[in-house]
Amino acid sequence: MGLYELAVLFDPRLPDEEVAELSDGVKDLLSGLGAEIVKEESWGTKRLAYPIQKLTEARYVFFTVKVDDGNPFPEVEKRLEQNDKVLRYMTVRLDQGRLRRRGEELEPAAVAAVPPVASVAPGSGSEPAAAEHKEAS
Amino acid sequence: MRGKPTRRKKKTFIKRRKVCRFCADKIATVDYKDTQTLHHFIVDRAKILPSRISGTCAKHQRIIQQAIKRARHIALLPYTAD
Repeated sequence: MGLYELAVLFDPRLPDEEVAELSDGVKDLLSGLGAEIVKEESWGTKRLAYPIQKLTEARYVFFTVKVDDGNPFPEVEKRLEQNDKVLRYMTVRLDQGRLRRRGEELEPAAVAAVPPVASVAPGSGSEPAAAEHKEAS
Repeated sequence: MRGKPTRRKKKTFIKRRKVCRFCADKIATVDYKDTQTLHHFIVDRAKILPSRISGTCAKHQRIIQQAIKRARHIALLPYTAD
């Protein structure tokens, strides 16, 4: 299927260990559903641009995930939705163009392994928005 | 050009050729986490800056628009300015 990025905003009141624990839980769930974790990025506590559930901060964690077959996201998103410690999440497909720019950040093997998506016709250049899951909590 | 209006002059428009920043820099995509860049493309009211103002080409405007909307969803950018 390709490369995806999952952004998760955790409750800022949680201690570091619990955030790490929850992140590991997300990773385990993803890998259990056939996804490969390429990268994990934690931004720590960051100020929100607008309050979510009356909170002004959140802990940002990003997971870059490679999915070969199957679709782990319905299950993962269901779990995140049900988890009160998750303020918000978003799954986004990393398309070819974005890979090009972020290529050096990702493992070269992971980038090379991504099959080239049919070349985008000049002028169209639109993102495959269909592959994106957005959910407001 | 706003000197003393001694005589009523015909308004002359100086057309500056706007160049899409992203085309000029050959940037194919914009990351929604790159709020520094995205901040250039929202107005004070947090609205998305029209391409006719920023000069962004249609292709890149779509990319920016998508990135801004994603950034808004995860509260990296505001939907409105209070």
